[in-house]
Formats: sequence, structure tokens, C-alpha cells
Amino acid sequence: MGGAKTDIKLISKGKRIDGRGFEELRPIKIEAGVLKRADGSCYLEWGKNKVLAAAYGPRECFPKHTQNSYRAKLTYRYNMAPFSTDDRKRPGPDRRSTEISKVSREALEKVVFLEYFPRTAIEVYVEVLQADAGTRCAALTAASVALADAGIPMRDLIVACAAGKVDDEIVLDLCQEEDNYGSADLPIAISPRTGQIHLMQMDGTLTRKEFSTAFEMAQKGCLKVNELQKKALKDKYEKIGEEYGTE
Amino acid sequence: MEQSDIIWEVKKDAIRRMVKSGKRSDGRTGDEYRKIEFIEGYIPKSPGSCLIKMGNTQVLVGVKADVGEPYDDSPGRGNLSTSCELSPLASPDFSVGPPGEMSIEIARVVDRGIRESKMIDMDKLCITEGKEVWTLMVDIHVLDHDGNLTDAASMAAVKALSNAYLPKYEDGKVLYTKQGENVPVKEQPVSCSFVKIDETNILDPVLEEEKVMDAQITIVTTSKGEICAIQKSGSGTYSREEIEGMVDKAIERGKEIRKNYW
Amino acid sequence: MKQIVVPGDKLEGKVDSYVFTDAGNTYSMVLGVFDKGDGVGKLDPLTGKYFPQVDDFVVGVISEIKKGGYVVDINSPYDAFLMSRRIYDEKDIILARVNNVSEVRSVSLTYDKKLFDGEIMEVSPVKVPRVIGKKNSMVDMIKEKTKAEIVVGQNGRIWLKGGDISKAREAIDKIEKEAHTDGLTERINEFLNKVI
Repeated sequence: MGGAKTDIKLISKGKRIDGRGFEELRPIKIEAGVLKRADGSCYLEWGKNKVLAAAYGPRECFPKHTQNSYRAKLTYRYNMAPFSTDDRKRPGPDRRSTEISKVSREALEKVVFLEYFPRTAIEVYVEVLQADAGTRCAALTAASVALADAGIPMRDLIVACAAGKVDDEIVLDLCQEEDNYGSADLPIAISPRTGQIHLMQMDGTLTRKEFSTAFEMAQKGCLKVNELQKKALKDKYEKIGEEYGTE
Repeated sequence: MEQSDIIWEVKKDAIRRMVKSGKRSDGRTGDEYRKIEFIEGYIPKSPGSCLIKMGNTQVLVGVKADVGEPYDDSPGRGNLSTSCELSPLASPDFSVGPPGEMSIEIARVVDRGIRESKMIDMDKLCITEGKEVWTLMVDIHVLDHDGNLTDAASMAAVKALSNAYLPKYEDGKVLYTKQGENVPVKEQPVSCSFVKIDETNILDPVLEEEKVMDAQITIVTTSKGEICAIQKSGSGTYSREEIEGMVDKAIERGKEIRKNYW
Repeated sequence: MKQIVVPGDKLEGKVDSYVFTDAGNTYSMVLGVFDKGDGVGKLDPLTGKYFPQVDDFVVGVISEIKKGGYVVDINSPYDAFLMSRRIYDEKDIILARVNNVSEVRSVSLTYDKKLFDGEIMEVSPVKVPRVIGKKNSMVDMIKEKTKAEIVVGQNGRIWLKGGDISKAREAIDKIEKEAHTDGLTERINEFLNKVI
């Protein structure tokens, strides 16, 4: 959380710095099946964020001694490309990426039918190509679509979204300036079907009441994004159907 | 599609057959490039960027700039550094971890092509002689691997540098998001890679052709038809005539690429 | 009435495979095509790997020779094991039947025979029914028009030999790309009739 001081008015006349309303999402574009070699993939734009997710598996799990006789081993790697941030990020994992990878993997573990594929590995790789706050939510949202695109059985499409506090207002989906100068950020991931929370992190300061407001706002945001995930997957196959003959 | 080594072994004969027949699996002759698409400015927040699609191969190059000290032996010149990441997104064979020999080789060959062709006017990157110069950082990010990563990376890097700006530098601080001068570009090299399969040399290999290759050669040329970088890799060998022949082809293809895309 | 469904979508009616139940409701596990049908629904995944089922015929490649038999690559996350009186070398291509799949997904094969020479290619296993066609109609059409020998494994691996192999490969690639659309048989027929 930035919490830095600024003279910029982040909110003025009920509008945010990028013109959005308090409960308005940034524009989101989702495309499934964009890579040839990965088993499943998804390209996602969320505001100025650009992420690319790939899913592999189930496939043979190496090294063999890490195989689990009862279920597939799930790996999730969140990585930022060096040119994704304003000043160049050195290639390679840093502590922040490691933490994000861990909680994102944990968000998926109960959703993917790991128990159907003993001794195998299921791997998700997400690259952040351009970052503008909310990358972990964009990444996990894209990862779900990539897993579905790979045909990996799941109980639901996990979806993520954040809410936060900016200039004493609770707002949905912080952009970079709001993240830099705001006072709280609450990213969550849910299973829309059950309503269960699979990921939650928070930094900053929120009163008890503000927390509930932000929580509910983020949940609503998640449901809206979930509709876009579903559409992206269905569109991919309906488009081919249109070209050659309807189903 | 992921395949084990033994499956590639089984498929090699079929690939060799197609290459020898002069009609490759995607219908191309041995001399043809795949269709190339460039999307410049793909990463708007980065001073320079370009996504290249070469058939199914996709490579994204980002260019960043920062201010630092010059090297002792070139106090009035800027710096260039190139790195390459073979993202696991791009292939089931790529794993996480520090750059291996393949990604290092690609980065260095691309770097050599840019440097030796004198593409960037390095003198113009000097801010204060002996103290402050611009360093250009070219980051190659491979997204989808269907062969010929070297040419794809090189061409995308050339395009990304050609549309890149230097950030503003004020009061000793780099304002990364403020646009300054354009990167001073004088030349645009073209990279041509061939693989040798049995006795046939083919341009712009797809992945399955690379899997059965005996050797590979990359030749980088300038707009004046000069050769500025070469890299032979793989354990197979070439005759002198073969190499001279490919150098001619590389110069010819260089002209074509410039005409169509530069 | 067919519709495209995604993981977590609720399905009406009785469906057998690729579904799970929760609180009395049935949900899709995968991205697939759901046909409600009359009473009994059918859900076909649109993507995914091959998971061996008993009695499947598969085109495999001998990948390792072991003391008791052979390890066979069957284009699946799980390798298969073959005990056979026949002698095979590594890289031999065989046609075999899946005999058993254990709880830890060890697969055993039987009724093996060698496929001599020829080439192999893979398609997404979910597209195999389309490549074969109703009562073999599609694959027979390709065989007839290209004069190639073709064996299609349930595992998505296809063995081809002789005739106009390139044309047969192209036709199969085309089927894979357009698998879930209508009028496919017509278009493949047209493609095969084209003389280059």
C-alpha cells in the first residue's frame, strides 16, 4: 500500500482520478486459447494491466520423488516481465512474486480436481507483461480461464478482484495512482458458484465497517468479472462455429 | 502439444522426408519465411516495445532506459544490454530458473547484431562525458515457441528500439514515465537463421524442424549488405560453399524484410 | 439443443460423465458441449488430455524395454505397460487395447500388434470421434481418396502409411480445427477432391 503523500486529488466531485465511479471496474478484455504450445492459455487486459497465463497438464511429474500417489501436484508461478513496471524489474523471482504465487496456488487447490490425477503435475504460469495495480487479481482470473481452456476439470472458475480505500472513500478495483497514494487495498478471490473465499489479503487501515463495505464491493466485482471469463471461453468455440456452421 | 523425446525420435524421419521433398509441413519451400506480424508499442507503458508473430512463434521485446556510469573504455558512449527469458508459457520444455545456455545464446546473438551493425548512435546516448550515460536495456520475452526464436527476437528487438524513446532526465532523476528524445537509430539489421537437416539448408525453421536439425546458422546483415554477426550452433558441420550460399540468401532476404516490414 | 458450458455451470437433467454433484445439483467439470437430449444428457469436453479407458484401442510407441515387458507411450500423462510374447524394439509403433487401469492410474495393454513403417501424428483426443466419423465414415473417406493406410487410436495418435500421406495429414488437421461444427464431412470431401 502506497499511502504516500500527494497533492493530487484522487477523488473529486464523486469521480475518481480516471473518471470512474466508486463501484466501477476498469475495462476488461479476456481471450482464451492464445498460445499454441501450452495446453491452455488466456490473455487478459484489465485497465492497463496486461497478463498472459498458460496451463500445462496433467502431465508426468518430475522429479519423480515429488510425485504424490493420491493427487496431482499443483504449481503456480506469478512472474513480472522486466519491462512491465515503470522502472525495470530485474528478471527472476522476488519475495513479493513468491508470496503471490503461494496464495494464488492455494486459492486453486480446492477447485481443481487434483485427486483425479495421481502422480501427475498441473502447472500454471502467469506473466505480467504490463502492470498497473491489481496484477495478482488479473493473473489469477486469467489462470482460471487457462486451466479451463486446457480441459483440466474444476469445480468452478475462480475469479479475483480488489477493493480499497482512497481519500476516505471505499472504491472498487484500484488503479496504479490509487494504489500508490491510497490507504487500503483488499484483493480477494472467490468461487462464484459457492460464494466461498479462496484468497484474501489486505494491507493498509480499514475500520470494521469499512472492511465490510470493501469486502462486499470486491465480491460484487468478482461476480461481474466471472461473467467475462465465461464469455471468453464460450466465445472461443462459438466463433469457430460461426465461421463454418452453427452448432 | 507436449511430446517426449522418444516421440520426437519417431517423427524425425517424417520431417526429414518433407524437408527433402522441398515442401515442408506447412507448405513452404526451403527459402521462405513464415508470415510475420509486428505489433509495435505493445506495452504502451514501456519506452519501446514490439510483439512479433512469426507463424506460431510469438516473442515480446521491451526496451527500457536508465542513466548510469559509462564503461571506462568508452566514457562518451552509452550502453546496451540484452537479456532473454524463455518463459515456461512458451513451451512445455522450458522450466523456471536462471537463464540457461539457450536463452543466453539468443540474447548475445541479438545483442551482437544490434551492436555491430551500429544500429544505435551510442555517442548520442552520452549525457555527461565520463559521468552519466544512457543504458538501453532490451528484454526479450519468449511467449510461444514454434521455432526460430533468434530471428523473431532480433526483429522484434530492432522494431522495439526503433520506436523507443528515452525518458526525461531532470535534476539528476530519471522520469521513467515522461517521454524524452527518440532513441537515436541509424541502421536496422536483419537476422536470417537456417537449419541444416541431412544435406538441406532451410530458412526460418519451425519447432519440429529444429528438433531434427544437425546444425544451425544465423547471419545478420545491414542495409548496406554487410555482414555484421554470425553464429553457428549445433554439432553438425558445413562446407564453405554452403555457408557462402547462405550468406547470399541472407543478404537477399535482408533486402526483402526491409522492403516489406521496416 | 446444444450449448457450451464451463466448469461450475449447472446442468439440467441426468448426465453421466464430466460432472459432479453438490447439494443435489449437477455441475459441469469442464469446458464442453452439453446436449440436454431427451432425458439423458451428454457432456463432451472441448479440450483435454487422453485418459485411458478399458477397451480403448490406442496407437502407442515402445519407449522402454524392461525385464517383464515394455513401457509404452500412449500420448497420456500416464505411461502404459505391455507384457507380450512379441519382441519389440524401442521406437516401434504398436496398436493395442487397454486392458486395465488401476487406482493409481497404472495402465496395462494387451492384444498388441506392430504397425510397420509409416508415420505418426497426434490430434486432440476429444476430436477422435470426429476423425473417425459415424461408423468410420470420415476416416474411410480419407483412406479412399488418399489411398493411405490409416489407424486412429482413441488416444489421439494416428498412424499413416503410403498413398498421399501429406493430403491425409492435412485433412486430419482440418478436421481437428473444425471438429465441433456442422457440414464438416462435406468440406473434407471437397478438400480431398481438390487436385493441386
